[in-house]
Amino acid sequence: MRKYYEVRGWLLTAPYIIYTLVFFVIPLFWAIALAGTDWNLVSPKRNFVGLDNFITAFQSPKVAAAFVNAFKFMVLFVPLTLAISLAIALLLNSLTVWGNIFTVAFFLPYLASGVAMALVTKGLIAVNSPANKLIVSLLGFQPPWLSHPWWATMVITALIAWKFSGYYALVFLAALRSIPREMYEAAALDGAGWWTQFRKITVPMLYPAFYTVIVLAVGLMFGIFTEPYVLTGGGPNLATHTWQLEIYSQAFASFKAGYASAVAILNALATFAGVAVVRWIITRWGRAYGYEE
Amino acid sequence: MVTKNKRLKLAALYTVAILGASFSIFPYLYMVLQSLAPWNEVDRRVIPTTLTLRSYEFLLTGGETGLPRPWFRAFFNSFVVTGVDTLAMLVVGAMVGYALARLPFRGARVVRSFLLFQMFYPSIILLIPTFLIIKYLGLYNTYMGMILPKAVNLWAIFMFSSFFASIDKELLEAARVDGASEWTVLVRVILPMSTTIATVVGLVLFMERWSELLWDLLVVKDQNLMTLNVLLATMKGPYGTYPGPLYAASVLLTLPIVITFLIFSKRFLSGFQFIFR
Repeated sequence: MRKYYEVRGWLLTAPYIIYTLVFFVIPLFWAIALAGTDWNLVSPKRNFVGLDNFITAFQSPKVAAAFVNAFKFMVLFVPLTLAISLAIALLLNSLTVWGNIFTVAFFLPYLASGVAMALVTKGLIAVNSPANKLIVSLLGFQPPWLSHPWWATMVITALIAWKFSGYYALVFLAALRSIPREMYEAAALDGAGWWTQFRKITVPMLYPAFYTVIVLAVGLMFGIFTEPYVLTGGGPNLATHTWQLEIYSQAFASFKAGYASAVAILNALATFAGVAVVRWIITRWGRAYGYEE
Repeated sequence: MVTKNKRLKLAALYTVAILGASFSIFPYLYMVLQSLAPWNEVDRRVIPTTLTLRSYEFLLTGGETGLPRPWFRAFFNSFVVTGVDTLAMLVVGAMVGYALARLPFRGARVVRSFLLFQMFYPSIILLIPTFLIIKYLGLYNTYMGMILPKAVNLWAIFMFSSFFASIDKELLEAARVDGASEWTVLVRVILPMSTTIATVVGLVLFMERWSELLWDLLVVKDQNLMTLNVLLATMKGPYGTYPGPLYAASVLLTLPIVITFLIFSKRFLSGFQFIFR
């Protein structure tokens, strides 16, 4: 029996192990090796340049923009998306009929391809489009959409928030539905109002869902590519430049494979650090509710 | 009085729900309407005065630009790449997940912790070397080049593994006592139980693979091999003056996922509830 488990176990795990070797372990070391060279992706010649690539990256305004923008998107996107998705979940949870139809409707944006929706956005904010005209008449002026750094940032943030809110709402909804009704009934008997119940029962009980959603959302902010690639190309003034755009353009448009690898390593470190800091914060918040990690 | 208050509250809730749902659906609707609009009305009216298939025809023929692009070929390419990858990710996910959760082989613990480490590793760092590996394997500009690096999904392994671990041990013991072999237990007991998880995991993987841009953009340069997503994303230049066909291509890109999802939506929602409860 023992031997049976050994053989079967390794046999069934084999695809994963081979895959990990070829597409994880080897690339990982290769990336580190590449980051120390000035290789240009095609020529047979490559020189060892030590930490030069990292020094160049630290001085590059584009890398600095990518670094700052990840946090800029995070500060805008995470609170906005948390608020919207939580509101959607609370709403869906209190509907008495057609709940599933509305759930499906709110989830649909998650299915959209970033490319298609970026194109639709482009159409919606085109100068002569009816949507833009409506907004102009509401605001009283023409928003400079993609030609102004902050407006461009907001357009991309809104587009990603539109896509992910329904998905995160489902995570919250699943958690909401597993809160025992008796807890609310007991609280109501004690005279607790809606806001007290929300703060003292709903939020603490939703903590694991908050944790999942926040970590997912923060991780996402370091990997933005499609939306700025189609809409802004990183501009204006690098306001929507992202890590992935920088790595992509350096490696595959400027053919600086060595330099791009160094930037990719910095991106990985920034992601690690960003996610670690956020996890530390929410873990502390969770302790207030008695959750231990 | 109380019931009237309650009714008012419900009415308000449904109003908000309808507004919110419209906001979610509107871009889809807009995309479909614009793809069917006469070209002088694209992005000029929300609801076109007449409907025409001119934009779709343009996709087929390339119209008067003299720049025919293989849109329908790209649609087929997307299906091949996404279909093969989703199937592979599901099969490998279930296989490895089963081994890790149910076969206590030596080393399973190490594999499991490595998997977790790997899941939280930002994969961007692997992009350039993976590209080079694919190139050296002679898979640049091939279907396999798109398929292979995405054929195994860590999250799928993780999901299947935690699902298989949650299956009641006594149930499996009971089946074994009845004389069922390990294989029979797997096929007759475990697999039927995993249809829900397989639906959720499969749908999410299908959607993500279908919308992948960066990798497919890198590894293919022949237009006849491009996925729909890549072809559309690289179509900014000459096609920028033809918004109608771009909307039509967007519809082609979006429709398959939406339809697949709607077919499985009921099972998806209950499965999602099960996973995140």
